[in-house]
Amino acid sequence: MSSQLQSIVALAIVVLAAAWLARRALAKRRNPGCGDDCGAVSPEIKRLQAKLRKR
Amino acid sequence: MALPAHIASSPSAAPSRMPVYAVVGNPNCGKSTLFNALTGLKQKVGNYPGVTVEKKVGTTYSQHGQPITVIDLPGAYSLAARSPDEAVTRDVLLGRRPDTPQPDRILCVVDATNLERNLYLVHQILDLGRPVILVLNMMDLAVTQGLDIRVARLEHELGVPVIPCEAVNGKGVIDLKLAMSRADLPLSKHAWTIPAKIAPAVADLQASLVAHDGKAPLIARAEALLLLTDQDSVRVAGSQPLHAKTQESLAKWEKQWDAEGTDWAAMLVNSRYDTIGEIAEKVVLRSTAVNGVTVSDRIDAVVTHPMWGWLILGGIMTLLFVSIFTLAEYPMNWIDAHLSGLSEWVKGNMSAGDLRDLITDGAIAGVGVVVMFLPQILILFFFIGLLESTGYMARAAFIMDRLMSRVGLNGKSFIPLLSSYACAIPGIMATRTIEQQKDRIVTILVAPLMSCSARLPVYLLMIAALLPSDRVPALDKVGLMLLMYFLGTFGAFGFAWLFKRTLLKGEPPVMIMELPPYHLPRMKDVALHMLERAWVFLRRAGTVILGISIVLWFLTAYPKPPEGASAAQRVEYSFAGRAGHVIEPLIKPLGFDWRIGIGLVSSFVAREVFVSATAVVFNVENFEGGKNADVAPLRQVLRSAKWPDGRALFTPLVCLTLMIYYVFAMQCLSTVAVVKRETNSWRWPLFQIAYMTGTAWIVCFLVYHGGRMLGY
Repeated sequence: MSSQLQSIVALAIVVLAAAWLARRALAKRRNPGCGDDCGAVSPEIKRLQAKLRKR
Repeated sequence: MALPAHIASSPSAAPSRMPVYAVVGNPNCGKSTLFNALTGLKQKVGNYPGVTVEKKVGTTYSQHGQPITVIDLPGAYSLAARSPDEAVTRDVLLGRRPDTPQPDRILCVVDATNLERNLYLVHQILDLGRPVILVLNMMDLAVTQGLDIRVARLEHELGVPVIPCEAVNGKGVIDLKLAMSRADLPLSKHAWTIPAKIAPAVADLQASLVAHDGKAPLIARAEALLLLTDQDSVRVAGSQPLHAKTQESLAKWEKQWDAEGTDWAAMLVNSRYDTIGEIAEKVVLRSTAVNGVTVSDRIDAVVTHPMWGWLILGGIMTLLFVSIFTLAEYPMNWIDAHLSGLSEWVKGNMSAGDLRDLITDGAIAGVGVVVMFLPQILILFFFIGLLESTGYMARAAFIMDRLMSRVGLNGKSFIPLLSSYACAIPGIMATRTIEQQKDRIVTILVAPLMSCSARLPVYLLMIAALLPSDRVPALDKVGLMLLMYFLGTFGAFGFAWLFKRTLLKGEPPVMIMELPPYHLPRMKDVALHMLERAWVFLRRAGTVILGISIVLWFLTAYPKPPEGASAAQRVEYSFAGRAGHVIEPLIKPLGFDWRIGIGLVSSFVAREVFVSATAVVFNVENFEGGKNADVAPLRQVLRSAKWPDGRALFTPLVCLTLMIYYVFAMQCLSTVAVVKRETNSWRWPLFQIAYMTGTAWIVCFLVYHGGRMLGY
């Protein structure tokens, strides 16, 4: 892969990562709080939440 | 085989509409386990409108296959509510909440090992005049403790079906479902004597509640009794207020009794306890073999001893951290070696360019350095799971309560503070059970000071940089780690003491705590707990930390410097370098340079990002050091980092100062959002950021300059 192409792909990945982080920070959370990041929610409740989301 | 009378349903009783059941019980009686056993995953979880109390509604099925709605109400010791949770339970049962249907039937779950205490709530619920099924949970533990509960006699005394059960093992659940399927569930026939002096007031208030508040006669009687115990003060959003006439009537009786000087609330409560005591005497038999002191009592005599208790707690904590430092070394070295190998492989298979740098200096350096701490995190949670599973954690709470009550913290603050060692967010959410609003705010304000698991990678990195493993014994590292936990914990107590005497003055708290019996740990639960933590940790590393590492790589690589610039000049020329220089005057008095500043700012998203940010920033600088230098372990790189004048950057004093900064500073965006939601205002989260980060700066300034004056 040429150096120029590498730069384009790398910058595209950076833009995607920044957009994802911004969206994550600004979006109204479906599950407010830590967004299940802290491990405080039991696996049983998570399965339940996933099931409810599917409905 | 014929079913017992309390389970069997009459054949003609095929109900047209299945009733709504409410599950009620004291905290820790296994109520939620039973609810889960009944409903499985057929649950809906939400909040009661206007109040931060969880609402769980599920569906189970009758023996005829018809759905039965089950509402899991918050745990309560009495209908005389003392917290928002208990107020919701009371209001739903009394039909005071328009957002929730009044349950047709009630499942009262009681802890069979503490029957007499649990019967107080049951007794109040029987007053409601609704069909009740009593579930005697934890029967296995009752047998272990030598308690013989005469189920048939209890049924006879209370006049309701009684189902013995072990919810955790699923025993008795089928019997319970059969009992719930009964269309002809009997009403309780129990009666108790209301003191003669109070009877006219009960009758008067009952009449008013029927006439003006539209209550059914039996519900009105139960509510009248509750109002007269003067403990109906907790009102929450969504609760219907009493009619003015009823309030007038209540005020009239209160005035009369105040004038007489009669403690009518105590009279009512005592009368109820007398009745319960008589029932318990007839129903609970103790085998002589275990009368008196149990094994748990003997262990508790040592473990909760004012002096031995502290020594044992200190010993357990030391053992925990020694294990973290010694056992984790091998898997950490293994991960480290493989990450280096991976980076080498990428370099060997890709031509030089931005994408290759992004992968090696951004993704692998940023994520890998955090993943390396996984073994230590797993060992920590293995020990925590083990201590919880054996019942020791409740004893630790008991020991700590002596200290907590001295600083004015509520006894119920212990669980939120303990949870905050894992993460402040569940800790802050657990403060919902604290009755007094001021105590709750104090607990929320100090909870993030407890050293959460996100701080662990920062501490471990700094300890690694500060104390090289080949020269320093593990006990020294343990001492340093314990110091950080000590600083966080006692910092929290100190600020709680200060807030309780200034901003949030209140009555001294009273602690009531239940110590569960000791039992052997369930290794399956401990392993599940560990795996859950590992998954959370890896998911964060693979999502948020990866994203930030990629963005940080860009910020440290762009704009491109003029040709011939060194690695150090490249970082300095970059966006991150320029931003770091802007904040450097603010942090230079603490011994931190602009590169550390980049780590501090980026770790506001999550504390452990500091480690990956440092890896990205310092690995880039190290690029000129040789062909393998950028994959050298981060701790080596930190030890060789210098100020422009050639002085070492990460001196032992700076490492210590940085660790102290992370003990006190409010460095977590998610926690800020949760505090805002829980306090329903921006005032407290902003105050929290100001006082915590301000304290961090002042303490670090004092430590750094004090250390320098002492020659470090």
